[in-house]
Amino acid sequence: MGAETHCPYCALQCAMTLTATDAASAPSTTEVASPPVTVAGRDFPTNRGGLCKKGWTSAELLASPSRLTAPLVRGSDGSLRETTWEAALDLVADRLRGIRSEHGADAVGVFGGGGLTNEKAYLLGKFARLALGTSRIDYNGRYCMSSAAAAGNRAFGVDRGLPFPLADLDDGTTILLLGTNVAETMPPFIGHLAGAQAAGGLIVVDPRRTATARLTDDGQGLHVQPAPGTDLMLLLGLAHVVIAERLADEDYVAARTTGFAALRRSVAQWWPERVQSVTGVPAATIRAIARRLAAGGRTFILTGRGVEQHVDGTDTATAAINLALLLGLPGRPGSGYGTLTGQGNGQGGREHGQKCDQLPGYRKITDPAARAHVARVWGVDAADIPGPGLPAIELLGSLGRPDGVRALLVHGSNLVVSSPNVADVRRGIERLELLVVCDFVLSETAALADVVLPVLQWAEEEGTMTNLEGRVIRRRRALAPPADARDELWILHELARRLGSTARFDTDPEAVFEELRLASEGGIADYSGIDYALLDSGAEAYWPFPRGGDGTPRLFAERFHHDDGLARLVAVTPRGGARPVPSPDELTLITGRLLEHYQSGAQTRRVPELLDAQPEARAAIHPATAARLGIADDEPVEVANDRGTVRCRARLTTDIRTDAVFLPFHYGDEQAANLLTSDAADPISSMPEFKSNLVRVTRLVEAGAGS
Amino acid sequence: MTPLRIVLIGYGPVGARFVEELLPAVRAGAVALTVVAGEPVEAYNRVLVAEYAVGNADLDAMLVGDQEAAEAAGAAVRLGVRATRVDRAAHVVHLSTGEALPYDRLVLATGSRANVPTLDGVDRPRRDLSDLERHPSTLVARDDDLPAGVTALRDLEDAERVLEAVRARRRIVVLGAGVLGLELALAAAHAGAQVCVVHHGPHPMPRNLDRGAGHVLRSALRRTGITVIAHSRAEAIGFRTDADGTRRFDMLVTADGKQVRGDLLVLSCGVSPRNELATLAGLRTAVGIVVGPDLRSWTDPDVYAIGDCAQVVERTDETAGRRILPGAPSGLIGPGWRQAEHLAAALAAEAEDREAGAALAPERDAIVMLKAEHVDVVAVGDVSAEPWDDDALAPRRRVAQWADPEHLRYVKMVTEGGILTGFASVGMPRTAAELTLLFERRAELPADRSLLLRFDGPDDDPSASADAFAPETTVCWCNGVTVGRIEESAACGNATVECVGRDTRAGTGCGGCRGRIAEVLARAAEADGAPSLTA
Repeated sequence: MGAETHCPYCALQCAMTLTATDAASAPSTTEVASPPVTVAGRDFPTNRGGLCKKGWTSAELLASPSRLTAPLVRGSDGSLRETTWEAALDLVADRLRGIRSEHGADAVGVFGGGGLTNEKAYLLGKFARLALGTSRIDYNGRYCMSSAAAAGNRAFGVDRGLPFPLADLDDGTTILLLGTNVAETMPPFIGHLAGAQAAGGLIVVDPRRTATARLTDDGQGLHVQPAPGTDLMLLLGLAHVVIAERLADEDYVAARTTGFAALRRSVAQWWPERVQSVTGVPAATIRAIARRLAAGGRTFILTGRGVEQHVDGTDTATAAINLALLLGLPGRPGSGYGTLTGQGNGQGGREHGQKCDQLPGYRKITDPAARAHVARVWGVDAADIPGPGLPAIELLGSLGRPDGVRALLVHGSNLVVSSPNVADVRRGIERLELLVVCDFVLSETAALADVVLPVLQWAEEEGTMTNLEGRVIRRRRALAPPADARDELWILHELARRLGSTARFDTDPEAVFEELRLASEGGIADYSGIDYALLDSGAEAYWPFPRGGDGTPRLFAERFHHDDGLARLVAVTPRGGARPVPSPDELTLITGRLLEHYQSGAQTRRVPELLDAQPEARAAIHPATAARLGIADDEPVEVANDRGTVRCRARLTTDIRTDAVFLPFHYGDEQAANLLTSDAADPISSMPEFKSNLVRVTRLVEAGAGS
Repeated sequence: MTPLRIVLIGYGPVGARFVEELLPAVRAGAVALTVVAGEPVEAYNRVLVAEYAVGNADLDAMLVGDQEAAEAAGAAVRLGVRATRVDRAAHVVHLSTGEALPYDRLVLATGSRANVPTLDGVDRPRRDLSDLERHPSTLVARDDDLPAGVTALRDLEDAERVLEAVRARRRIVVLGAGVLGLELALAAAHAGAQVCVVHHGPHPMPRNLDRGAGHVLRSALRRTGITVIAHSRAEAIGFRTDADGTRRFDMLVTADGKQVRGDLLVLSCGVSPRNELATLAGLRTAVGIVVGPDLRSWTDPDVYAIGDCAQVVERTDETAGRRILPGAPSGLIGPGWRQAEHLAAALAAEAEDREAGAALAPERDAIVMLKAEHVDVVAVGDVSAEPWDDDALAPRRRVAQWADPEHLRYVKMVTEGGILTGFASVGMPRTAAELTLLFERRAELPADRSLLLRFDGPDDDPSASADAFAPETTVCWCNGVTVGRIEESAACGNATVECVGRDTRAGTGCGGCRGRIAEVLARAAEADGAPSLTA
């Protein structure tokens, strides 16, 4: 009997069955241990039994020699040494107490992750607020979902990535994908695009000719390649055509939305020819897309990080939502708008209190009623819950500064690879008095820590995840963890106890989930009707799922989640000077993903098959651009700007625009693409600008070569 | 603090943008703003008038002003009220209602009006100072009355006249082959009207296009059913008398005696700034109202002009002495909007006693784009040079050109030291769009200029046309499995899609490639001479 669980990686959460092998019981003595479980795809609506390369090889890491198996503490000689749990936890608690008493509770920060189970994410938020008493908690989801979340909350009053089951896409006749490369990031997803492809209606907007863009070949749709950073204008142009050509669903707009007049005015200035001159997308193409979207078929508009990870990401996602609302898509059966959540628990992870401005159930930390509710569940006074803290970039910017964070606890995040302007973050880390990292491998961040606490992997733990559809699913244990690895729930419990907290920190995931149910009850993301038994019965549990009620596979059928039930059309306009204008010798850097790697690569770079396929970062450049710069395929290059320099080899490809260069962000050290990205952030969501930074690319002359 | 009293005359798209940008200062009480709008409707986007004229756009979709928001912020918006005179000494604007509005700063955004050419049969009043002083009530802030059946295309009333003719599928004669005339001609023809374009140059858009592009455009126009009569100077209008006794347009007569009959004559002979208020007020005017780079009148530091009526000339000792000044208003919306934003920021800073921002950057050559459904024309800069020209004055200038008149495609790129200084493109939308971006960025063109042509070809993606069965071609995206890897697996005896899946994981993700795997296997089997198990 295998354990029925889901993949450890992305938000598609492909179902898989893990079956223990003999290797599980007999500890391997060979250097390369064979995996202790075998992986098999399992039928489930999102993946239908299929897995991608990352999923198939996921078990490789369980017995990897790079696995951490004992707590590490930095010794006086500066190197990390193994120690006991008692010693490690005592040390952490002592140091935290000292820093707190000297500098106040906000001198301790917590940085979470979108890969943590709901239980861990929930308990981490509670731990920060009650055991540490700090407001300084945020998480790496700030780098992925915050713009789409802000836009969704603003327009719909709720943020659930897909407000409909993924399988609804199967019947779509037109699907507009904006800034998402699902063919590489969550490959089994593309099975759901086949219907639209057959109808010739897959439209992919991406400055790169990605694997996803290629799905539009041979009459199956259309790929448009706007200049990087111009998605907002493209969307305004589409809305312009929809309104000007009376393609909007006027009854829907009148009955279900507010704000049309201002929206109409704002897009009146974005006629297709003007949009063409900014985006490089021909006016005729803009008209054709608008007409296709409005052609009356089953139409979906989906956005991804490509359009969201910008200083105007919230406005861009809002423009996509506006377009969907004009066409009457959200809430109409067989159509809709959605954003594709990326991290494994990127949805659940943004609902239960890891965000600096948020309490469980997607409650606002500034809302007195929300504070009172959560305080009741936690058995504390509402006044004991700290107020809003700082979003990720500001939090990291405060590291080691006066009045800033002096001790940082990191859970499920490799922030010295994944943060924007990462050199600055590394300098901030150096200024810390204490860095504690929970991870199961020695990630680049863990390697800088004063204390590293080894934790469990997905196959060794129980819990729940919430996938990109807002469906709560079970993660189940397939094998026992290594003897000296510990569940983060236990670590939080132990630290809270040492810090003298009287609040409850259960170590059993189911007990934590029961508490999460109560805490989320009545909130936007209401889980109160869900329990493990229900999930184990195979029920499809989409939130909101109130106690005694049913789940909600499809939101918005009747109303939106604002008090008046109406969706908001929010007029947005490009802000002048939001981005620097490239000079002639600069290229726009696009960062993104490869099929073989996940996030910072801390896990996938330790899987031999994946590392062999993509061992290093390579900068993708158009051959014409390369010719101008004197760069040949495979040659070493420097990609640089004022923030930093990445050294890697060039990959020449016509898949990229001549004015851009692409770097995958899965690599560390001097190949970290985020050495080049800006920590300028969206004013609404605090999302950093990952996708349109300016760089210069030069051929790297080896030291000693030439004069 | 007494608010700074600002009066804006003119409420077109540029005026509306100025209002929008100034609202925060109005809301804060630093500025008291009054808008004298002229037309009785909310500000609309004039760029779309041709589309309105053929029934492709509603007025609603063209509105850019927000009177409600402006008034909510505390501004006064006077729709349908005209300014008749500016008394600069008294700092007062006189209105058609008889009121007098005091101001501290006056902003003129009066825009431009359509030119009426010299045609026998059409009166054309002059607007010099003596005429204006004699007939202010008919000449100031008013357009000229044209005979029945003759119209310009500038405002909504003009557009209504055209729309009526288009709806009735009448014969429309367009005089002039500039961008605006052609946009109307194409839109009207597309909407079902019979259209004839008469112009005196050798080819359409002579100011923007070289001969090659012009000729390809002419062919494209003819292919859409538009009659194009070149080399023809219009001289007179012939009239007929309707049953109700109205004399209306019947034909356009050219200098060489051609008679072009029609039901509506649309004059598209360019525009001229509405200078008359400025002229009467004694402000320096040339083609437009003369202002410095800070948009302030040369004559009066409390008066500004923006948009189509503003001619920006830096005042130097040299220019100040000249009778004829260089340049002219651009007549384009982009520069007008930038001026509106800049001036609003500068005046708000003054009112709030803050440091003003950076100076307005000088405008580059404006890119001209024909707005039409089936004909794609984009041009900028001087494109008159030919590839074989040898100009000693421009030794670094190079010209690359592609002409395919049969298929209505043409592009010419002019560079100086590799940097694009001008181009003209017909029928190549994607190429034109990319050239636009390169021009805006002043970027160097790829050494292989033909790369830019291929964007509009079916093989713009070389890898797509590559062999689908080349060993390095990816078959299974989910697992990154190539043709070569599947062939290898087949060679090891994996003859079915399932076996290959177990061996390589190909087809074990979304499953979308299983058909392709079968094809690869079938070919491999064929190559082996064995019968195919999967075909």
